[in-house]
Amino acid sequence: MATVPLPPPDAQRFNTVCQFCIVGCGYQVYKWPLGRDGGPAPADNALGVDYRQPLPALSDWISPLMHSQITGRDGRRYNVVIVPDHTCAVNEGLASVRGGGLAQTLYSPERPTKARLSEPLIAVGDTHTPLGWDQATDLGARVIKAVVDRWGADAVGMKFYDHGGGGGGFENNWAIGRFFFSGLGTRTASIHNRPAYNSEIHAAGDAGLAALTNAYLDAQLADTIVIVGANPYETQSNYYLTHMIPNLNGATLKRKRAMFGAEAVERARMIIIDPRRTMTVATAEAAGGKDRVLHLQIEPGADIALLNAIARVVLERRWHDVAFIRERTEWQTFESYQRSTLAVDRPLQEVVNEAARVAGVPASQIRQAAQWIAAPKRDGARRRTLLHYEKGLIWGLKNYENIAALVDLGLLSGNVGKPGTGVSRLGGHQEAYVRPPYPGGRPALNVDEAVRRGEVKCYWIGGCNPVLTTLRAEAMEAALRERGAVVREVLLQTQGKPVGERVTRIVEALKAGGMFILTQDIYMTASARYAHLVLPAAQWGEMNLTSINGERRLRLYQRFMDPPGAAIPDWMIMARFARRLRALYLQDRNPLKANRFLDFDWKGDEDVFIHARYQFKGDGSDAMEGYAGVTYDLLRRLGNNGIQTPTQIVNGVPVGSVRLHEDGRFFTASGRARFIPAPQPWPGYAAQVTRQRARYPFWVNNGRSNHIWQTLYHHQLIPFYSEHNPMPFLEIHAQDAKRLGVASGDLVELSNDVGKVRALAYLSDAVKPGHTFMIFGQPRGAVGDLVSDHVDPTTTIPYYKGAWAAIRRISGAPEIAKTVSFLPQNVAQ
Amino acid sequence: MVNRRGFIKVSCTGVAGLVVARHGMHSVAAQSPQTSVYPIVDIAPLSSIARGAAIPFSYPDERSPALLLRVNEPAAAGVGPNNEIVAYSTLCTHKGCPVSYKPERKLFICPCHWSTFDPVKSGTLVIGQASEALPQINLRVLAGMVQAQGVSGLIYGRYTNIV
Repeated sequence: MATVPLPPPDAQRFNTVCQFCIVGCGYQVYKWPLGRDGGPAPADNALGVDYRQPLPALSDWISPLMHSQITGRDGRRYNVVIVPDHTCAVNEGLASVRGGGLAQTLYSPERPTKARLSEPLIAVGDTHTPLGWDQATDLGARVIKAVVDRWGADAVGMKFYDHGGGGGGFENNWAIGRFFFSGLGTRTASIHNRPAYNSEIHAAGDAGLAALTNAYLDAQLADTIVIVGANPYETQSNYYLTHMIPNLNGATLKRKRAMFGAEAVERARMIIIDPRRTMTVATAEAAGGKDRVLHLQIEPGADIALLNAIARVVLERRWHDVAFIRERTEWQTFESYQRSTLAVDRPLQEVVNEAARVAGVPASQIRQAAQWIAAPKRDGARRRTLLHYEKGLIWGLKNYENIAALVDLGLLSGNVGKPGTGVSRLGGHQEAYVRPPYPGGRPALNVDEAVRRGEVKCYWIGGCNPVLTTLRAEAMEAALRERGAVVREVLLQTQGKPVGERVTRIVEALKAGGMFILTQDIYMTASARYAHLVLPAAQWGEMNLTSINGERRLRLYQRFMDPPGAAIPDWMIMARFARRLRALYLQDRNPLKANRFLDFDWKGDEDVFIHARYQFKGDGSDAMEGYAGVTYDLLRRLGNNGIQTPTQIVNGVPVGSVRLHEDGRFFTASGRARFIPAPQPWPGYAAQVTRQRARYPFWVNNGRSNHIWQTLYHHQLIPFYSEHNPMPFLEIHAQDAKRLGVASGDLVELSNDVGKVRALAYLSDAVKPGHTFMIFGQPRGAVGDLVSDHVDPTTTIPYYKGAWAAIRRISGAPEIAKTVSFLPQNVAQ
Repeated sequence: MVNRRGFIKVSCTGVAGLVVARHGMHSVAAQSPQTSVYPIVDIAPLSSIARGAAIPFSYPDERSPALLLRVNEPAAAGVGPNNEIVAYSTLCTHKGCPVSYKPERKLFICPCHWSTFDPVKSGTLVIGQASEALPQINLRVLAGMVQAQGVSGLIYGRYTNIV
């Protein structure tokens, strides 16, 4: 019989935040030795819950997935229960499908998570063999030094996460940034999900806006919520369920009245701009009624045309916020924006009709959207509109102009810096960016190309998996395999030889086209298999880490268990390498180089957190991550509600920021926001994409889904998730499926001029005919194998959403069809 | 965590359909280990269960609402003609709201946060925020009577199914 053990009253208790999505729901961890379980009476369990009766709905119930057993380094075994925290303002006790399984992600020698990396490994032939930290660090540092000395720092490439949450945190990001930027000084850097070291939203930055401007509370207060290129029911679940849905169904009306006094308030409306009819559309309609939800089912690449047409209607109807524009923006940028972007020299009708045609949506919906965004309320008050966007815009046809068009619409309608408004990313992972400045310029160097061209002699991949996630992924894998093989051969030949000799031979291999690859991660990923040195990292729960969520809520994620074996936090790995490099440069009598690696002597997680903090002044000028004055002790006391960054020091005490730009100041030299031109209604496709579209009939839209996180690095090991997602799924419209002879559950192959990949067909009315949608980054099929190498020349951001492919049926998959449900995933009533 | 399919396999081999469960294994000293046995409960005569039938009952006790369904296709762990008869707890495994069966959609939907479950595939989560399948009531047919004889999965609100 399925049971869960109850934590005893004296169970150890820790605060944590979910390791997965940007929302950062609060959770409580209970840990106690096996055999000392609590009882069902409230006094006999740590939850204080009366389990002698079945709990009523919406209680703190422990589902079986919320419990697991772990083994400490001392060999003692513990029960761990991880339950959503009802005192956390973010999730108010709700778990998402991902957070509900946090306990399953913990390392255990008895469960599939035993696959965790637990000691440094070196490549030997086709496999890897353990070596100690000292040897691994010495060899790695010597190779890096040899590369820097011979080819310069830019010959060391890095691809590292820069995020918060699981695997991230301010602590690790600071150490990584110090090692590569102020230490090595390489410009050949790239971020986990893209081939360069760049902002995903340069246009918002140029406009002076932070990435995350609003508080989640604003979703409860808005009159209209706009969602562009995102699917929050599935991928920001508890932000959507806890804060947006109660506004759609009227549950926050009282709060609105209390906040806004006599101002007219009503249930929120929602505008969703998405090529798919997602579960977000379905649930919004179920909560708010169809008449208050507007779904603009946009064609690929039409974002700029559509958003500009909406903005043009706003301007034409005189719904724009004249006072905001006059007082808070650079007036001359508004002047030029009207001509360059809103095409005021052309008739309104023509602009709207053109956008309707390009976007494949009725002109009436464009006008309706403009009205919901900016028309005055029935009492004449300005409408409060919260504009959210994510990867649909970011990975879209023209990264820079896509973002610009939305930010401009927010500025035009004055929807930033006030309760119930905002122009913000919905976000993917959590954030925790604090690093010395990146030494490179803009547009940033395309590191994927530098790897393929052989300019990168040493490539260090940390906490990410480009074989599954980059564009032209097969070509990246080939480069890792083929260039790595040259070094592998040398490692095999020089086994047991002195390290100096090995390094000399490795350098010879690098001269001959080889590439030395280091990976640090928690699992042996598809990319790590090609690494020569594999370094085992600690994960969430195995170190103290700090991060911010989508409303910049900074919390301490407490350490509650040991990492496996010799695994250590990423910051500690960077510190090891830095200290070794310093020693090697001192031996070389090169104090200038040696001193670049000073101050890597942190003793614990908090040392790194405090060290990084000097970047922040606490005077109102800090970036959105600023945590001046914050200590672990303060965060411990603030628990899972934490403090919203950036902080300002007032009377010696850090004070948080509920929302950004509330004081009317923006991150520009003038302090005023700038309208950014997004002039082309239809920029057209790049040559690579044009060729694909001409040859292959199906658009392969792609992204995340509800159940699984990123590359499934944890979830492929947990039956609840892996049985749901044994293969990448491909949503395809019934008309197209019929023509191809494809049924739900069939294995299909997608192919184009870049590569091919297999997926499980899933007939769905979520996609229009001719459109498909595939999960990204699945270990058994990476959509990146279809994505061309085109990047936005302004930003070096890929057009991940822009792949076209042919599709053919391969076979049925009867075993998979036994357990996987093919019922629609966008039904809510 | 019990692998769902594995559990079903085990329970099908149980002697006379009796699933013996130990829920005292986690108990503190004050509670002596005990053995609980799922009751055998009549739900409806097989002959009365037409295609499309949806019969509410409760199991393993009156505080645990459940629904027996006859779907139009063979279902995992189904009984009766073509294995079309299945039964599930109707408390959502996310936060315990009552799920309802939508015959035109062929799925259970929770009205609180819209988790949906597939009755043909052992109550697996189709989409939503629950982190368990809907607990399936193990059925058998004895002398023309459809009976409940156990539960696969933990029913919402409980730390063990027999409280």
